Amino acid sequence: MMKTAYFPGCSLKTIDRAYDISTRVVAKDLEMTLVDVEDYSCCGAGELKGEGLKSHFLPARNLAHLLAQGETEVMVSCNVCYHELSRTAYTFDVGGKVSEDITAMLKEADEPPLTEKPSVRNTLEYLVNVIGLDTIAKHVKVPLTGLRVAPYYGCLYHRPGKMLSSVQIAGEDTEHPHFMHDLLKTLGATVVSHPAETTCCGGKNLLSDDRTSGRLTGRILSQAKSSGADVLALMCPKCAGGLDALQSRAINAVGDNAELPVMYYTQLIGIAFGHQPNELYVGDMESDALGTIQQFLSRMEYSLPAQ
Amino acid sequence: MAKGSGIIERSLLTDDQIMEYENLVMDGIDISGRWNTMLKTRVHSRPELDSWDEIRQSFIGASIDNCIQCGMCTAGCTVAHEIPEFNPRQFIYWVRTGRQDELIKNADVIWRCVGCYICTNHCPKEVNTAEVIESIGQWLHRTVPEKMDQAFKANHETYRHQLFTYGRLSLPRLQAEFLSRTGRRQELFTSEMRKTAMKMLKDGRVMRTLFIGKPRRWSRSAMFLTHQQA
Repeated sequence: MMKTAYFPGCSLKTIDRAYDISTRVVAKDLEMTLVDVEDYSCCGAGELKGEGLKSHFLPARNLAHLLAQGETEVMVSCNVCYHELSRTAYTFDVGGKVSEDITAMLKEADEPPLTEKPSVRNTLEYLVNVIGLDTIAKHVKVPLTGLRVAPYYGCLYHRPGKMLSSVQIAGEDTEHPHFMHDLLKTLGATVVSHPAETTCCGGKNLLSDDRTSGRLTGRILSQAKSSGADVLALMCPKCAGGLDALQSRAINAVGDNAELPVMYYTQLIGIAFGHQPNELYVGDMESDALGTIQQFLSRMEYSLPAQ
Repeated sequence: MAKGSGIIERSLLTDDQIMEYENLVMDGIDISGRWNTMLKTRVHSRPELDSWDEIRQSFIGASIDNCIQCGMCTAGCTVAHEIPEFNPRQFIYWVRTGRQDELIKNADVIWRCVGCYICTNHCPKEVNTAEVIESIGQWLHRTVPEKMDQAFKANHETYRHQLFTYGRLSLPRLQAEFLSRTGRRQELFTSEMRKTAMKMLKDGRVMRTLFIGKPRRWSRSAMFLTHQQA
């Protein structure tokens, strides 16, 4: 068994439990033991940058708690948390006055100190790079043959490249990331490449600027759909907010072409590993992901040889 | 054909800044056609540079001085694709040439950055453009709060309040506070919202959000974050 520290974050603990639980189900199958970061706080959600130095407090606090638990590497599923924690770890590692200020802030708030730079890993690149596609391929029980999946990376998984483990350690491309393509191919799915794989969904202004965010999400969904996708694979709960929960806004902005089932890539791994949709909470998605998966599974029952 | 249609970044100019003639002969040479488009000389004699100082000394805007105005940030920008007036290269230029009047004129555009970090990733001079633009937005917020969009201010205040007070983010609470700050509280009770709420109540997600709690000993951090100057 492999022990890995894991940071779910606020959103995965509540509304987006589907992403958290499917990550845990997949990790269990792959013989990883996930140890939660204790006494977590929010990561800043990407909305506190304007607060300057204080924007580093919340991520630094989480990293300090990680170190206090005796871990130096953490796996993060949520892209926003991944970005925020990496940003603070990178800034701390640059050293000088900034890292002294971060240390002083933690001391003032009576939190454990940040003594070294922890390594922050994203679940996707961790699965591809540390667990390995060969191991994942061995666990596939229901190959996703014939399911046309469009991968969608969002922004913060691979940008800005110099801060992130996906680029620095795993060697992901900052312009054309391909790990989700590789992973979905391993699961047997038909991977549908489309022009909006790394286009932003406007998540930062999801609440405040509905016009821009509606148009951006509409463009992503309609481009994936017109490329022939059955389902869009996500890796960020903030993107899920725009692409799944507020899909009606995207449809208002660009028309019916934006109506597309959306689900997390970990749920697709779970399906391929032979789990049922209700174990992976596919029904939590607002779009009709459940219908697509049930249709796919019923088709598979006829095509799989009877055991 | 529209006036000055051959100009790159045409959206940055107004019609009266462009000179175009039917027939133009200069020094005996006929330059009618594509080459007769010219810009009027722009003179700005009183640069206001305190905004530049404030931004370069801020925590997130310090890298602004590395900029060489190459425009890679703007070429890839997500928002520039949707809103032609949104031009990060130009915003940095205005800050460094002291054109506060232009910045203030675009107060309702600059905050619309979606923070996708394409600009930072593309920059050949290691300017953290996304955060520099955020810093310009913050300067505008301090200088001309009355010109900022209500939604921007509510978004900023809501996140600040929710995260500093509770330490964890409960999305329904966040949305409720945002909508009541913008005076759109009735949107909480639309039929679509009720349907989502019922679904989440049935499948147990509402209970999860209610019991999200606070980190241990959060009050001390909350005090520190709320009162300490950045």
